[in-house]
Amino acid sequence: MSQPILTVKNLAVSFETYAGTIKAIRGVDFELFSGETLAIVGESGSGKSVTTRTLLGLNAKNATVEEGSQILLGDDNLASYQEKNWDQVRGSKIAMVFQDPMTSLDPTMTIKNQIAEPMIKHLGYKEKEAADATLELMKEVGIPNAEKHLNDYPHQWSGGMRQRAVIAIALAAEPDILIADEPTTALDVTIQAQILNVLKAQQKKRNMSVIFITHDLGVVADVADRVAVMYAGKIVEKGTVNEIFYNPKHPYTWGLLSSMPTTSTAIGSLHAIPGTPPDLLYPPKGDAFANRNAYALQIDHEKQPPFFKVSATHEAATWLLDERAPKVTPPAEIVKRQSYWQEHFVKEG
Amino acid sequence: MTRYILKRTLILIATLWIVVTATFFLMQVLPGTPYNNPKLSADTIAQLNATYGLDKPVLVQYWDYLINLLHGDLGTSFQYQNQFVSMLIGQRLPISAQLGLQALVVGVLAGLWFGAVSAKNQNKKADGILGVLSTLGISTPSFILAIVLLFVFGYNLGWLPVSGWGDSFSQTILPTLALAVTPAAITTRFVRSEMIDVLHSDYIQLARAKGIGEGQVIQKHAYRNSMIPILTLIGPMTANLLTGSTLVENIFSIPGIGQQFVSSIPTKDYPVIMGTTIVYALMLMVMILITDILTAIVDPRVRLD
Repeated sequence: MSQPILTVKNLAVSFETYAGTIKAIRGVDFELFSGETLAIVGESGSGKSVTTRTLLGLNAKNATVEEGSQILLGDDNLASYQEKNWDQVRGSKIAMVFQDPMTSLDPTMTIKNQIAEPMIKHLGYKEKEAADATLELMKEVGIPNAEKHLNDYPHQWSGGMRQRAVIAIALAAEPDILIADEPTTALDVTIQAQILNVLKAQQKKRNMSVIFITHDLGVVADVADRVAVMYAGKIVEKGTVNEIFYNPKHPYTWGLLSSMPTTSTAIGSLHAIPGTPPDLLYPPKGDAFANRNAYALQIDHEKQPPFFKVSATHEAATWLLDERAPKVTPPAEIVKRQSYWQEHFVKEG
Repeated sequence: MTRYILKRTLILIATLWIVVTATFFLMQVLPGTPYNNPKLSADTIAQLNATYGLDKPVLVQYWDYLINLLHGDLGTSFQYQNQFVSMLIGQRLPISAQLGLQALVVGVLAGLWFGAVSAKNQNKKADGILGVLSTLGISTPSFILAIVLLFVFGYNLGWLPVSGWGDSFSQTILPTLALAVTPAAITTRFVRSEMIDVLHSDYIQLARAKGIGEGQVIQKHAYRNSMIPILTLIGPMTANLLTGSTLVENIFSIPGIGQQFVSSIPTKDYPVIMGTTIVYALMLMVMILITDILTAIVDPRVRLD
């Protein structure tokens, strides 16, 4: 692949609270290439959203991006940005689709004006140009009879339509990177597929790079080119979507895959990962997943595992990949699922 | 819109009728008569009763009052040498209204300002200090504050006149301040929590993510949304202030409507009690109607029809 359009290196973010300092992101590295979709998956609290909010400088006031963090976009290191620098990035270079369309739109402004705002600011459009471009964009994201809905307010629209409007807002200033933060979680299943299709179509048309945050592995299989699995503020495994689904190496990825609901009764009962994630007020010394990991070695509790390369595109941070570690095969659950997927879904490419 | 206002006006009239009826009969239940002077002879009392129609059965009196009211006649005062109640109110209401308006402007502006400062510095020192002050402001009755202000600035320091009305603007300053503190404190707390809610809302996050700058985010998205609930607070507050504060008017010897209302009760000045009650109820209802219309203008989710 070519040069990455965005490189995140050693990103660490902590939050000051009354209880102490929460180390929410503890050294995250990833690249984003032009035109690709990178999915970041993980359970609630794993740091997915904080990571992407940091990319837009939208963290809460008590958040600090630690010294040494790098977010390289072109020649700029966003990690060192002050509040005044951010406005040239937000909307125009990196834009975001938020999770809940029911609360993401300003209830007292027409949807049309909310879509036009980034155009006027970043593309320098005059009102007339912005109005035309807004109508065009509303049609593109699939708002039926857009001409008739120009003066509508958010409360007049359904959740699915509102999410299309949120996508239109994100696309308005023609960003290079789109962050989609669980864009379908708040929608019902039939609408989910439509919204994913809108996102995929727009990405293709505009050759945008997309960072897709989700905990729905079904969605990952649908949209992603590459996957990064996050746990307790770190990426534990990353690879292409096929590598993650068919050759997962980290026990946490195994856990995630076997807790994925399926419609097949042949696969048996639904699994859950036992235990709870560590308290990031006191991050563990070794692998954060060790306490919940049936395959944990002694060293997992003591020393942070480095990334072991599995292939040119695939790496995982688990001591199981060290050559001195005992050979462990993925649980039978996963193997069963993999053969089921192979039968039922053929992944293109 | 017109239909809605018409409908609300009809409801208003019906409500007013209920208020009139309830007040009229409650007044009849009050012990005592308008004639407190023991020197009055039974003949004189009978003559006065005949003059004011008090010798008729209560229901007939009630009917007469309603008919007169429909003709815009509020009757004549017993206490103030047969003055028309409408004239009494016409003389005194503007005084109370001016004082109330001054207090409202000072109170609401201060509240908006302090509330915004508090919200912006959430959980910091300024917020803490304003939090304590506004709690104090809400819990201190205005008449206590009036006495404190009067004692400190009027008596001890001698900067401002201690009482009176109509001679100079400086006479209005202390009563205005005394009346403004409670609305200021209430508005501060309300604005603070509204602003904090709005600033943490998803749509403000989204507006920030557009890169339009924090100033625009606040101006175009935060203000309008946090103003909506504050409108509903200011409406009734206005009616309350415009109709005068009995205690503060008494303390500063201001000839407002509040003072008149209170003095009319022990003297059983029935027409004045009725008149002031009607004015107060009308003001409150009109202010609520105006608030509702304004809310519908500001908030597209509110439909009037």
